[in-house]
Amino acid sequence: MAIRESDEMLQSGLDRAVDLMAVAAHNSFRFGGVDTVKLICAGKEEIVNIAEFCYSMGDMSPLAARDGRFAMELVKEPCALLIMGDKRKSDFNYDCGACGYRTCREMNKAECVEALTGNGPSCQFKNMNVNIAADAAAAMAWRLGLHCRVYSTLGMAAFALKVIDDVDFAVSVCVSVARRDPFFDRHQFWTDEYWDEIFRKEFPTYTRGFIGAVEDEG
Amino acid sequence: MAKEASMKQFEEDRKEATRIAARLLLASGTTSPRVGGVGETTIHIIDDECQIEELCQAVERMAEENKRWGFFKRDAVMLRDADAVLIVTSLRCLSDPGDFNCNLCGKLTCEYKRQADMLPNEPGIAFPGPLCIFRANNVGYAIDSMVALARNLGIDYGVYWSAGAAAMRMRIVPKSTGFALAVAISATEKSPFRDIPKKYAEINEATMNDRIIKRLWPQFRSIYS
Repeated sequence: MAIRESDEMLQSGLDRAVDLMAVAAHNSFRFGGVDTVKLICAGKEEIVNIAEFCYSMGDMSPLAARDGRFAMELVKEPCALLIMGDKRKSDFNYDCGACGYRTCREMNKAECVEALTGNGPSCQFKNMNVNIAADAAAAMAWRLGLHCRVYSTLGMAAFALKVIDDVDFAVSVCVSVARRDPFFDRHQFWTDEYWDEIFRKEFPTYTRGFIGAVEDEG
Repeated sequence: MAKEASMKQFEEDRKEATRIAARLLLASGTTSPRVGGVGETTIHIIDDECQIEELCQAVERMAEENKRWGFFKRDAVMLRDADAVLIVTSLRCLSDPGDFNCNLCGKLTCEYKRQADMLPNEPGIAFPGPLCIFRANNVGYAIDSMVALARNLGIDYGVYWSAGAAAMRMRIVPKSTGFALAVAISATEKSPFRDIPKKYAEINEATMNDRIIKRLWPQFRSIYS
């Protein structure tokens, strides 16, 4: 019997797992009862493009920069990015008001506001459907023992770069079979000094003796 | 004829099973992903029959408010058969947008969303928006995590936005709630949330019992006794 190396098995397992995640997402609960969510899987080349785009957004969004920097590290080991999105207009006729319009018809007629992150105004229940699909994919990944995290930022970047087209907003689920969980507690990106500097900047009152006092930095 | 003790025990245990399942679903929903990694969602369990009935009556009242909400009556009938209802809320989507400038609400920045006129809190409007859709999406994550666990546990479930809106109307969820959905669960041999016939609001097990058994039998008994 031929010996198969772990790298080959891990990549093959990851590919199959992503397929199962897609099935779970596709078959998850939907408001309206019909699946209109578009779902794609991005390869490493696309992930690198998405990561670079996110990192370039650093001035506008520290969160996007964080996720972009992280995704550049992620592609060094087997990983995949499921991206899912939907159109913004409502076909439910719920007239629920969550979008800020009294009726779905009014919302559908409203002028489309385009942005890099997504087009609006969008139907709350269309958003629900996409996020339910994302959660179903993530739940399947969790059950299969994959490292997993849901990313709005990478989904928005995929939308901006038209990696996923014919949708008005998108969200992503990233999975990996790296040697250690790459998604949480990413302390390797922080030096103690830089972390202290950011903490002092964001929570200046934490180290002050009383309200209004300013510590002598000298 | 009185029910056998063992049948009563089964009924009690069945309800206890859904009470336990409801709490496990709450845990699953609570630990589901959150946009931006920031928590702002609560889950509330309604497993008292009287409280479920009050919720169903609120759903039925709302059916009259908007011509699009006729299906609320059907929802109320299904919810009446639930052993427990879990309400999932988003607490910060109403007045505290996420500062992501995501444009999902159609306002290019969150500052524009803060300045936008809100719909009035009046009959016919379930969730006075515009809400921070990005924040409210947390409810979707929680709902699917609860549904996923319900499937694993073999508990029947149904998802209802009517009950979420009614719970907000009844003020049984935190006052800062901007968006809420409901998951109803049941452990019976036939799911009350599937295979729903047409005109279910009018013709269902309760009304059939009422019209056929409870109406005809007393007359039959009175005449033929």
